[in-house]
Amino acid sequence: MPIHEKSLIRPENLVTHDQLVIDGVDVSGHWSTFIETRVVKDYNEDMQDEIAALAGGENIHRCWQCGSCTNACTINAENPDFNPRYWIYLIRMGMESELLRDKDIIWQCVSCNKCTSACPRDVVPEGVMKATAHWLELKGHTEKSSSTIFDEVFSEQVFATGKIEESRTMRRFFSRTGQPLMPSWFVEFMKRLIRYLPVKMLMHMGLATVFTPKTKKWDKARDAIEEYVAEKKAADRKALGLDKLIEQAKQEVNNIAAE
Amino acid sequence: MTKPILVVGGGPAGLAAAHSLSALGKKVVLVEKEDKLGGAPILSGYAKLVPSGEWAKDAIGGMVKRVEDSKMIDVRLSTTVSELSGDTGNFTAKLSSGDEVNAAATVMCTGFTHFDSVNKPEWGFGTHQDVVTTTQVEQMISSGKGVRCPSDDRKPKRVAILLCVGSRDRQIGREWCSKICCSVSANIAMEIREELPDCHVYIYYMDIRTFGLLETKYYWKSQEEFKVKYIKARIAEVTSNGEQLIVKGEDTLVKRPITIPFDMVVHAVGMDPNVDNRVLSESFDVDLEPHGFIDRADSYGVVGATSRDGVFVAGSATGPETIDDSIAQGKAAAMSALECIQATK
Repeated sequence: MPIHEKSLIRPENLVTHDQLVIDGVDVSGHWSTFIETRVVKDYNEDMQDEIAALAGGENIHRCWQCGSCTNACTINAENPDFNPRYWIYLIRMGMESELLRDKDIIWQCVSCNKCTSACPRDVVPEGVMKATAHWLELKGHTEKSSSTIFDEVFSEQVFATGKIEESRTMRRFFSRTGQPLMPSWFVEFMKRLIRYLPVKMLMHMGLATVFTPKTKKWDKARDAIEEYVAEKKAADRKALGLDKLIEQAKQEVNNIAAE
Repeated sequence: MTKPILVVGGGPAGLAAAHSLSALGKKVVLVEKEDKLGGAPILSGYAKLVPSGEWAKDAIGGMVKRVEDSKMIDVRLSTTVSELSGDTGNFTAKLSSGDEVNAAATVMCTGFTHFDSVNKPEWGFGTHQDVVTTTQVEQMISSGKGVRCPSDDRKPKRVAILLCVGSRDRQIGREWCSKICCSVSANIAMEIREELPDCHVYIYYMDIRTFGLLETKYYWKSQEEFKVKYIKARIAEVTSNGEQLIVKGEDTLVKRPITIPFDMVVHAVGMDPNVDNRVLSESFDVDLEPHGFIDRADSYGVVGATSRDGVFVAGSATGPETIDDSIAQGKAAAMSALECIQATK
């Protein structure tokens, strides 16, 4: 629903009681419907800084809410609930619980970057969407998306060998996302490929599967890349205070165990 | 021509007019109702001025000194004009001191009055100690004391600045935009963030009118460098829970009611017509425009003309005005006064 058509009253905040008497007045039934206030009490004022610490979110504090991003948005045209302007605002004001209401559609951004070219203040809303999806994932509000898992499988392999071996990438991707190793479309794909008798390619693939070739003198490059990735991840965890949370949780578990 | 020119009001416009005239060899009688020159920036204790960033006591203080040191300018403090008779080339001003001044022309630089926030009782000024005005915050900064909650001198952790207090509000008969409060508020917000980096500063606005080049220097800079947060909402009421102030309103951009605690609420007070304008209008025999400021009779032919020949006006006497523009207008009105004396010779 477009935001201007939204009602200030949420259906779940409408309350009726079958039997209720307040100060001697019977307020039972539909005629005495109550509306619960929707006051936000738990603002997370660190939220803007957390998003800004993740790649893509750096310029979020510049936003002045003109709505150019939402107007330019490819996905908004399809789904009026997809409203980058609104989410940027919730993040800046620290309304975490409100943002979480939309956690299942924020990942839908297709990175067309029309918002980025429309934005008069260089907020780079596309980057902010990416950072927000990442934030939701790191905080454990959403599952890892399939595309994130694919990225992981892909980069793990490149980091390890400096090369890509497609069949291994696909196998790992299928297994980690819980898909059958031979989905029907994949079988069909292979059948049609075989028709052309790609002997040379199949030999390459077979050899690669057996020997796991590596780029020459790759180890140093691998170490450097892994160090960099570890640094980045640690920085993200620090910005979001995740290590602290994990420590706290461990402490609590220990306390309970001690009791 | 030996008759002096009468300048009424010793604020930025009056100081500029008096200085220009004296520099051109004209005698000036400068009448000021307070016991000190400088006008609002000095009397109300402004801190750093918008947009120069210079301290008021240095910038305006310099203008005051220049006037005080001039042999051509006769300064009359704690004095008002009770009647102005005659016409161009031959005015007679009766002063409250009993003196009479013969003047060739008159320049009114009678300024404005800060809006009194008590007239918006729903926003808590006068009821809660920690509800203050931009003027008070300017004083906290200029005195070197720093921004503190008046109730217990603690450093505020959350400050809300409400814009358009006494401006753009038909409820209190003030339709005008006071022009400079957006920029002044953004400036104050940055000052607070600089002094107290842990303090969150929120600005509640209907529109942001940091006009012209002030956009970069105040609106953008406060957001981009100082992380000041802007919320589009007209606040309904400011109350207290005994410990903190409670601000209620509707956040119009996300369509939701808001109830937020703050340590300090700042009213960005607007510029009212000088409270004396009705009296001034009588004693100087000049017209007021519909809002109650002194009417400008001509914008293009004679800059600073009022409805009375030989009487000119400059600065915030004519409506909300910046200090820089008031100074420019003071000089312009001085020039118009010279032109008119020359023409009657």
